[in-house]
Amino acid sequence: MINGLPLAGCRVVENSRSVAAAYAGRLLAAMGATVVMLEPKEGSPLRTAPPLVKDGGPSALFGFLAPNKRSLTCDLLSPEGQSVLAGVLENADILIDDTPVHDRAARKLDPEAIARYFPKLIHVSVLPFGASGPKADWDGEEVNLLHAGGEGFLLPNGLSHERFPDRPPLKIYGHFAQYQGGCMAAFSALSAWWSVAEAGGQYVDVSVQDAVLSVGAFALQRLGDGSLEHRSTRRFRYGGVFEAQDGFVELLTLEDRQWQALVELQDRPEWARDPALLDPLERSRRGDEINAHIREWMSRHHVDDIVHRAQQLGVPAAKYRTPADVINGEHERFRGLFAPLAINGNEQAEVMVAPFQFRATPLQVSQRLPELGEMNRELTR
Amino acid sequence: MTAPLRGVRIADFTIHAAGPFCTQLLGQLGAECIKIESKTRPDAFRKPHAVYGRMTAATFDQVSVNKLSVRLNLKHPEAVVLAKRLVAISDITAESFRAGVMKRLGLGFEELCKVKSDVILLSLSSCGQSGPDSHFAGYAPLFGAWGGLGWMSGYSDGPPVEMRHVMDHSAGLHAAAATMAALHQRRLTGKAQHVDVAAREVASAMIGDALVLASLGIEPARPGNSHMSMAPHGVYPTREPDRWLTLAVRGDREWQALVRELEQPAAAVDSRFSTAEARVRHSAELDVLLAKWLANASADSMAERLQRAGVCAHVSWNTADIARDPHLRERGVTREVSGPDIPTRVAVGAPVRFSKTTDVGIRRLTPALGQDEDYVFGELLGLSSAQRADLERREVIL
Repeated sequence: MINGLPLAGCRVVENSRSVAAAYAGRLLAAMGATVVMLEPKEGSPLRTAPPLVKDGGPSALFGFLAPNKRSLTCDLLSPEGQSVLAGVLENADILIDDTPVHDRAARKLDPEAIARYFPKLIHVSVLPFGASGPKADWDGEEVNLLHAGGEGFLLPNGLSHERFPDRPPLKIYGHFAQYQGGCMAAFSALSAWWSVAEAGGQYVDVSVQDAVLSVGAFALQRLGDGSLEHRSTRRFRYGGVFEAQDGFVELLTLEDRQWQALVELQDRPEWARDPALLDPLERSRRGDEINAHIREWMSRHHVDDIVHRAQQLGVPAAKYRTPADVINGEHERFRGLFAPLAINGNEQAEVMVAPFQFRATPLQVSQRLPELGEMNRELTR
Repeated sequence: MTAPLRGVRIADFTIHAAGPFCTQLLGQLGAECIKIESKTRPDAFRKPHAVYGRMTAATFDQVSVNKLSVRLNLKHPEAVVLAKRLVAISDITAESFRAGVMKRLGLGFEELCKVKSDVILLSLSSCGQSGPDSHFAGYAPLFGAWGGLGWMSGYSDGPPVEMRHVMDHSAGLHAAAATMAALHQRRLTGKAQHVDVAAREVASAMIGDALVLASLGIEPARPGNSHMSMAPHGVYPTREPDRWLTLAVRGDREWQALVRELEQPAAAVDSRFSTAEARVRHSAELDVLLAKWLANASADSMAERLQRAGVCAHVSWNTADIARDPHLRERGVTREVSGPDIPTRVAVGAPVRFSKTTDVGIRRLTPALGQDEDYVFGELLGLSSAQRADLERREVIL
């Protein structure tokens, strides 16, 4: 327990194979909860999940997901392992588990048994399609889940789709869907824990598909308005991704004053002085024409010059930054977004502390990865 | 049964998408959310949104479900006083202006601490409350661009991809988790907290693994639909146009099941595909073969068949598929809603299922502007009708 952090005193047991469940534990650990990661003797599959920092080397993904957790190995199919599980649950507030529904009883992880023996425990199930409903036993990886939740079909939009209209839809990098599922699990765990004094422990059923759909709710809203969204038509009427001389820029003006500033940014060209374009609806109708002009202008300028002047003028514009840009970013450095992490022997990497800050009680900057079974050694000592 | 966050009250100053989504989530779980807006600065959904192609106001707005609406003209000092009174009777104050705006309005964290010593202030912005870029305005595609997620997403030979509302809402979801942690902290310590969520940093978390690599001087590649340890992996055409099948084959067992279901016995013994490593090495060839093998398949029945055989498969669903899916309907994450001006439509209901605190989800739809002032100004703040009429006349309530 780390005093002073938001979740100091909160005790979490994480039994994870999926990125979703591990990310839930990751967020809680970052906010100061004590997170015990149960692993099989050979270690969590996430320890060797790509991308690796070198061939056969440690996983960068695990490096991101596991800081500040503790590791306890046990075989949940054995009586000894089950007694280790019971021991840690005895002292836990929250259990996060992604064991498939049909494998739970044999591991003493079925919700009925957990509720009977640990009545104050918040038992959070995190599964691709949830633990109930006709598809509860369906399995899914990231690519399946992003598409099952509706966002996959809608990507890419804008410039990527224009350039490659016949290619299959494209997923978001990495584990976006699972991160939504994991964050939903952390949020709902803390919400159920909030009411533990009145309601007692309970079982919380989180589905990665549901979480993707929740964050994609706007598409469902558009459907209700009569529009079935498609990646070919889900584009801003004007604005979007532009190729500048030395990189890519995102530009999006939603308000009149931002449009005026955009005209100013391009030194008030002749085409933009058309009085009809003062009407935002007219601008939307003539979006393609506007974009063609902006593209031509962008192609003659450097990214840094564009975004610098745009921000001065109040035009929302951003450089498409590479991971190296982000890790070395002045803004990120100022905000202490990253902390040192020993990952590959003595090699010092850096890892994000957390995607949120608590200004009254800043989060810890020291980050360590758990050694496999480190808690077993402490228990037998 | 009750809802987990019943009794939690939010003074909600959020605008646009990310902040309102956060308070909507808290509201779905039972929090009472008082949305503060005005006739001169109404919420985005009350206006046309031409850049998105919406030429009129929205009749239904997902991120304002369950919310109460009151009007306050925050340019007026008396409205700021009333806003502070709402903060004083709320557990959480949420805002999503550009950094510094709340302070200029007289509603900065220090000011709010004076009226409520244990205030939980959530500030959700594009770039956070500190740092050289904190004054930057932005929307979802910009968060993705700044945070590196846009760069890492895309065809490997194409441009970066712009993130849409899922990016706003993901920031809102992370903010909701952090806000709950702050509430727990307050319960334990009795102290105030300022939660600072920068949407671009949430975008960066989505490439957290790539940032570890970048910190070691490694330049992560943009993988598109491919995976470093799974093949086949991706999105494949089927016999119906624009009806794609997503596949992720983890290991040899799944591979054998896949080729069995696709009736490709030669592939089962093809040494190019005998191990996961070999399949990844030959993934380009595999992708061509898969497209051929699936050319006469129905995506929907193939997905079901493959799932029964233990292979991770799912159709690339459009929103209409989602709206009619019985699984999602049974879980309650989708449900029909309707109202006096709202023909029946499908909305996102309970995002999570709870075994005891089951009363989560949509309790009421989009509020009319100022619809709940009798309760909020009358009952909660104790303003008389005469006082409220006077405040309206002087455009404090506007």
